[in-house]
Amino acid sequence: MDFSWSEEQAAFRKEVTRFAKEELQDDVIRRDREEEFSWDLWHKCAKFGIQGLPVPPEYGGAGADILTTVGALEALGYGCRDNGFLFSLNAHMWTTEIPLMTFGTEEQKRRYLPKLISGEWVGLHAMTEPMSGSDAYSLRSRAERRGDRYVINGSKTFITNTQNASLFVIFANVDPSKGANGITAFLAEKGTPGLIIGQKLHKMGLRTSPMSELAMVDCEVPVENVLGGEGRGQAIFTSSMEWERTCILASHLGMMQRLLETSVKYAHDRRQFGQPIGKFSAIANKVADMEVRLETGRLLLYKAAWLKSQGGHALRAASMAKLYISEACIQSCLDAIQIQGGYGYMTEYEVERDLRDAISGKIYSGTSEIQRVIIAGFQGL
Amino acid sequence: MAIEQSVLRDQIRAFIQELASTKGITSFTDQESLLENGVIDSLGIFRVVSFLEDTFRVRVGDMEINGENLKNVETIEQLVLSKQPK
Repeated sequence: MDFSWSEEQAAFRKEVTRFAKEELQDDVIRRDREEEFSWDLWHKCAKFGIQGLPVPPEYGGAGADILTTVGALEALGYGCRDNGFLFSLNAHMWTTEIPLMTFGTEEQKRRYLPKLISGEWVGLHAMTEPMSGSDAYSLRSRAERRGDRYVINGSKTFITNTQNASLFVIFANVDPSKGANGITAFLAEKGTPGLIIGQKLHKMGLRTSPMSELAMVDCEVPVENVLGGEGRGQAIFTSSMEWERTCILASHLGMMQRLLETSVKYAHDRRQFGQPIGKFSAIANKVADMEVRLETGRLLLYKAAWLKSQGGHALRAASMAKLYISEACIQSCLDAIQIQGGYGYMTEYEVERDLRDAISGKIYSGTSEIQRVIIAGFQGL
Repeated sequence: MAIEQSVLRDQIRAFIQELASTKGITSFTDQESLLENGVIDSLGIFRVVSFLEDTFRVRVGDMEINGENLKNVETIEQLVLSKQPK
């Protein structure tokens, strides 16, 4: 067992931190208020190579291993304060690039991956529907084959990246009599007739990440745009979720490190009753708990990533990492606000935004309740 | 080392029996569609995959987790056998 990063990985994390601190800083308070996505940050990340990290070199990516990639995303979460932007970035990588890499035909990979890596295109996947959330496979969207095309009808909601996306991975059932075995994934490009982006959804947090409804009304895609083959939607979705649950909260770890450091600094600098408030055990205990949560979260996430790097499945470990980090991050945000008192509650200090952003971690990519169901399920319950 | 086929099938059946019992299902055949008949659900599939990977030391690729390979006890057995040393 070895808990250390390689020299190369450590140097890369350091470089990503520098990049994020120097180049991913902007007026995020205003953009959060106005619910504005940053194309500038998106293009800077692409130029640096973030979107291409897990993608093999033959498609223009870096072919980085999963641990190097989560290390980079953790560094981004530490250096970049725009959690909504990082959420969009993660959705793009884990639910569009990875399914394409894993299940795409050679032609699909060559056609789409370079654009997704270069920053030219944003990707999304559309699974959730008004009547199917946690029970994802009960989706009602239907696809019917007509000659060399499929005609998709249905509606989706809570879809991340919708306004900016150029490539849509849409899940629909081609044969409801087969249940989940009929679910199929389709690739559709922006502008496809019948692919209608609905109203923008306004959120408590992650406000810089666009989200809206999506409708497919006689939306036609050619048969070559089926991803992975007819009836493979279930496998694609579960594979995406395993990747996403393993990796998406790496950025949360970076945020938790940032919260810890700002809280320690405040506890040193802020004096009350003639001494730094960090000398009071009520404050020091919160700081200690924040660090323990951060380190525990790291162990869980790195283990899930390591399991995947060994070629095995990490559904159970990914669920544990996702469950723990999402809930730990909220508590660390609350502790940071409490330590910083009235200042921590102010928008200008930016911790309240971190809290609003963190709350959604208990909901997306499978709620905390679903993660507990999965973990308990592995115990035979 | 290759696993004897009958032992393999018994182990697979016993594990799925355990999953089925949590749903109140007490019997199923080796040819019965496990998903369509509600013996296992979407989470159950991944419990099966984890069981196969842990018990038989095989790797089940993402592309292999599909309704054909995991349809019933027989197809699951065939999946494992296809990964055993000849």
